[in-house]
Amino acid sequence: MPDRPILIVGGGPAGMEAARGIADLGYSAVVVEQKSTLGGTPVHSNYAALTPDFRDASEAMGAMAAAIENRDTVDIRLDSTVTACERRGDDFAVTVETGGTASEVVAGAVILATGFRHFDPGRETQQYGYYEHDDVITLCDLEKMLKAGKVVRPSNGEPPKRLCFIQCVGSRDRQIGNEYCSKVCCGVAAKESIEVRKMVPDCKTFIFYIDMRMYGYWENEIYWPSQEKYKVNYVKGIATEIVKKGDHLIVRGEDTTMGRPMEVPMDIVVLSVGMEASDGTRAMAKLFGVEQNKYHFIETIDGCMNTVTTSVDGVFACGAATGPADIEDSVSSASAAAMKAIASLRAKAAAG
Amino acid sequence: MPLDLTGRQYADVPYEEKERLFEEVKKDLRYEEYLYGCYECGICVAACPSARFYDFSPRKIAQCVAREDADLFYTLLNDSVWDCSQCFSCDRCPRKNSPGGVITLMREVAVKNGLASAQEALEGYGRVVYKIMATGTQVSPDMLQANAFPDWGPHVNDISDNLDEWRRAIPPETLHTTETSWKVDDKTITELYLIWHMTGVMDMIREIDEGLFMILQDVMEEKLEDEGYDVSFD
Repeated sequence: MPDRPILIVGGGPAGMEAARGIADLGYSAVVVEQKSTLGGTPVHSNYAALTPDFRDASEAMGAMAAAIENRDTVDIRLDSTVTACERRGDDFAVTVETGGTASEVVAGAVILATGFRHFDPGRETQQYGYYEHDDVITLCDLEKMLKAGKVVRPSNGEPPKRLCFIQCVGSRDRQIGNEYCSKVCCGVAAKESIEVRKMVPDCKTFIFYIDMRMYGYWENEIYWPSQEKYKVNYVKGIATEIVKKGDHLIVRGEDTTMGRPMEVPMDIVVLSVGMEASDGTRAMAKLFGVEQNKYHFIETIDGCMNTVTTSVDGVFACGAATGPADIEDSVSSASAAAMKAIASLRAKAAAG
Repeated sequence: MPLDLTGRQYADVPYEEKERLFEEVKKDLRYEEYLYGCYECGICVAACPSARFYDFSPRKIAQCVAREDADLFYTLLNDSVWDCSQCFSCDRCPRKNSPGGVITLMREVAVKNGLASAQEALEGYGRVVYKIMATGTQVSPDMLQANAFPDWGPHVNDISDNLDEWRRAIPPETLHTTETSWKVDDKTITELYLIWHMTGVMDMIREIDEGLFMILQDVMEEKLEDEGYDVSFD
């Protein structure tokens, strides 16, 4: 029914943008967020600055939240999860649990904006020793340090003299099972490398990569400046292992463009971890019965011509719930999901 | 010989010395326009004639300096830059790098610092350098000798036997020469000697080839004295 609200699961960039779109078009939305604040991964994983434009992540997410908070047509349920769903005619009768208390929301359509989780580099293989060496960290760990304004070696609190990123950790890997590219890690690493060079100017900074995937303006906005202005050292070749030698880490790999083996000392090694379907995405896909691809992201129908419609009539998905996505992708697909969800309400109302 | 990029052969050269030479290249005003950043596309190597004949890669040059790797820089400075033919085909770089330009700067630094590799690379050019610097011209008619150019055919003998006459048959009087390409007047040669002295070219020659320097010094000091200049090259 057109007067039914649209249920949005997830209060990150995609969910917030979908809610704003729905409210701006005169419809109503219920946003269910499992955490106690809106903002999603950029806020809860302590992002400092967004890629590629270096906007403050908290401020940017705060502005998105402010656009839906205190609106009559947006009902935000924090600390809440969707625990059941039952079809009632065209409607979805959904059970939402908030702190142990269940309530029912009857929605005319559903948008899943449940996002991604960062790949756990210690899960599949210990080749990089993430849980073994204090100074082996992830993009998110470094992001947290950047946010705190202090980049130091976790092992001794000293500023690093040599820091490297290793790209494609948990992505593009048949052995691990994540054969896809996570899309954002190249850009994030280049962005963080610039921030490291600014914060610790005498820290030699390296990026070991398979190929840098800097599509569109990321090329000239972050990749080139990191290399040309901030003298970040890009080396084509992925490390095979990291070993500890005295006070340092030794990164072993091949410098493929120079055609020579490489064994270089580092103070900090940053693993550029990719994206996987979040627990929420997996759970909601199952609960709403939408098809998932082999990587457990939600499958949208009609390939590249339709980025938000799922296999279940009236259920849409957007953002990183459908696969690796940056914020630009997420807010774009969120707007599309809002539009298609409203169109589905109207079509059902017209059909009577 | 294949290029050894391990740096082992220069392990005994102090890192500070390698860095000093690299800094000398980087502080050249042209450096900024010659090097932006390299993403290893290989278009420079594809266009490079030297790369077809030697273990030489303009990409490695660009990459090495972009990485600011002083060890690698030193290896390439010694073992690679002299394989470049300075044709600048590599300038078709999408990042607008000029590996050939970087090599120009590296060669200048190698020469100015009298590196053994520069001396060795330029060893065969002593006569050419002498001729250009002493006379202001390089290829002269008297080089046309049958024993030097057997492939030019039998008439080469006729020409070289009567070179002076053949040359005087050419209408412009300035070409009635045999030992130089054309007639170089006193004012020109005096100015050339002064330029080479004042711009430091003679200092470079001294670093590279002391013997050649001494020969040129004699020729130049005498000429300049005749022209009324009191110049010492020491």
